[in-house]
Amino acid sequence: MLVAGVDVGSTQTKAVIMDRDQEILGHGLCPTGARLDEAGQTAFTLALDEAGVTESDIDYVVGTGYGRFRITFGDVQVTEISCHARGAVHLFPNTHSVLDIGGQDTKAIKVGADGQVIDFNMNDKCAAGTGRFLGAASEALEVPLGELGPLALGSKNPVKMTTTCTVFAESEILGWLAKGRRVEDVVLGVHVAIASRSVTLLRRVGVEPEVTFTGGVTRNSAMVELVSEQVGERVNTSEESHYCGAIGAAIFAWDRVLAGHPSERRTSV
Amino acid sequence: MKPQPVAIRPSMSRDGDTRNESRRLIGTWWNELTEADAQAAPVANTFVMGSMAEILNTFDLPMSFPEIAALQTAVKGRAMDFLLAAEDLGYSPDICGYVKVDVGLHNTGRAHPLGTYPKPAIVVASNMCNTYIKWAEIWERTYHCPVFVLDLPGWRGSGFTSDPTDETFANDVRYVEGQLRDLITLCEEVTGTAFDIDKLRHVLASVNEMSELYREILTLNKNRPAPFNALTEGINYMGVANILRGRPEGVEFMQTALAELRERVDKGVGAVDDERFRLLLIGTACYTNFRDFVGLFERWGGVFVASEYMSYAGGGIDRGIHYDLDRPIESLAEQILISSQLTMSGIFHSHEWQAGVVRDYGIDGICYHGVKSCRTTSAGLPDAREWLMRNEDVPGLFIQSDLVDSRLWAEAQMRNRIDAFFESLQSRRDQAGG
Repeated sequence: MLVAGVDVGSTQTKAVIMDRDQEILGHGLCPTGARLDEAGQTAFTLALDEAGVTESDIDYVVGTGYGRFRITFGDVQVTEISCHARGAVHLFPNTHSVLDIGGQDTKAIKVGADGQVIDFNMNDKCAAGTGRFLGAASEALEVPLGELGPLALGSKNPVKMTTTCTVFAESEILGWLAKGRRVEDVVLGVHVAIASRSVTLLRRVGVEPEVTFTGGVTRNSAMVELVSEQVGERVNTSEESHYCGAIGAAIFAWDRVLAGHPSERRTSV
Repeated sequence: MKPQPVAIRPSMSRDGDTRNESRRLIGTWWNELTEADAQAAPVANTFVMGSMAEILNTFDLPMSFPEIAALQTAVKGRAMDFLLAAEDLGYSPDICGYVKVDVGLHNTGRAHPLGTYPKPAIVVASNMCNTYIKWAEIWERTYHCPVFVLDLPGWRGSGFTSDPTDETFANDVRYVEGQLRDLITLCEEVTGTAFDIDKLRHVLASVNEMSELYREILTLNKNRPAPFNALTEGINYMGVANILRGRPEGVEFMQTALAELRERVDKGVGAVDDERFRLLLIGTACYTNFRDFVGLFERWGGVFVASEYMSYAGGGIDRGIHYDLDRPIESLAEQILISSQLTMSGIFHSHEWQAGVVRDYGIDGICYHGVKSCRTTSAGLPDAREWLMRNEDVPGLFIQSDLVDSRLWAEAQMRNRIDAFFESLQSRRDQAGG
């Protein structure tokens, strides 16, 4: 018996296949793009392939993320706030605080012992200080997104960014470069600004150890360092952190299966 | 186990005499304003907080309310036309949306979706909202009409008292009473009619009656299921309470509403078909996407059984006002002062009021709706939320949009937060074995 969690985020879509022991058998990852339904299906198929199973082997699918209502093959939808909370506690059972920096959202979540959401706080309507800000910096500096973290760690003298607005990011970055500041100093300044804003959100719900950092930005080593520094302790991350929302969704799928809810899934998509 | 939203008939479709009657009364009100404008008859432009309806009605002055007119343009899907018209004139996007809709309306022919917005012959404002005074000055410059600004002293202490033997309170009452007498003189000049104190007594008696009925209506929502949604039907009650304050039609409406709601209680009919979560709304409503906003809660069986808005924008009508008809002007001054001080101090003491509502109404969760273009009503919401969570163990949701500006509404993000809030409420209930 297997279940799946599919997280259609604003930037990337993630999927996992999970067995009865809540072991992850397969992962899928793809850009979300404009066709949310296709992205969900693609990530799901990739996860099935990695797990070496077929769609008919899956007993229940829970969708999450902004595109959760477009997952046509899913059974139910749960918000990514609840899913990240469950996923974080699954990965790190002593988690009490979760920080998720996503493509357009930053979420700070206070969680209970079994991953239930006690409180949460999110960035405002605009995407200031989210992962999108890193994307804007990457474009402005013509540095691939994956290289930003290591580049930032090469600086000891970050510039002080006055904005985390993604619209104004480019002009401020260019302004610092025009003043002769090194690229790595500018990149570190960008990271510091995002980490600071994110941890402020976390403080609003209360920083309670252990803190687990989730979402795609966890792959950025500089951001993990800076968030840890600002939180005041080493935050939890793992190889699976990027998939935390999908993992939480899969755990919710298990809840449903174990409670005897039959799948309403359409198996042919 | 995670719940899924269920299809629930929204409360706005709950038919009844009250709903139809409120529509009729609001239509009649607009017809009166339109007719007054056509006849060039004097109209008072006033605000919902500190409206001085008691005095204006004594002079039979029709009252136009810019906040009500503005929210109606949003509900009718026209607010953006007026917002943009005001911004074309140079008004900043940061300014109160109500102000900009009003400015846009006055500068584009005063053609409101429900009638003609009249030119004011007199403007009555107070310091209950810090925008009112400058707003009133716009009309003064536009129409060269007299502006009367009622200066209501805030409570200058840590504990509020309305004890008439308290020296500070008594001095403040005398200060307000003097201003009311000035307003009466001004109304005499504008209308050419002599002040009739017996007519004022009649108006005050009507407010007494309406206030008692309004208070009873609010109290009925302590029942399970709650018979009305304080956000949707509540807006109707509050709207009528403002536009018909001191008029017999307003009293009759409240009697009709109370009877209808008592019948719902007797029959066990709730605001929604399946009440699952009882909510308190703090802050104002979101009129620009009103149905969407309400629907995001009702799809989870969430009902706003109480709303702070029904109190602070009702000019004290929720408190069970009782004017002393033997000393009408002094009594009016006392009550205005109490209402204004409670409202103005509400920013600092709202959490205490909320705690009482949580206990009295069996609140499962509180929704704090911050208004982007109104920092006055939005101040302190996160702090109150944290206090209630810590001291009353009641979960709070903080969301932001606007009263009338659809550019500040983001449905996907709003839905995400609201859905997550209900998921956490359900999880909490499951944990408690409920």
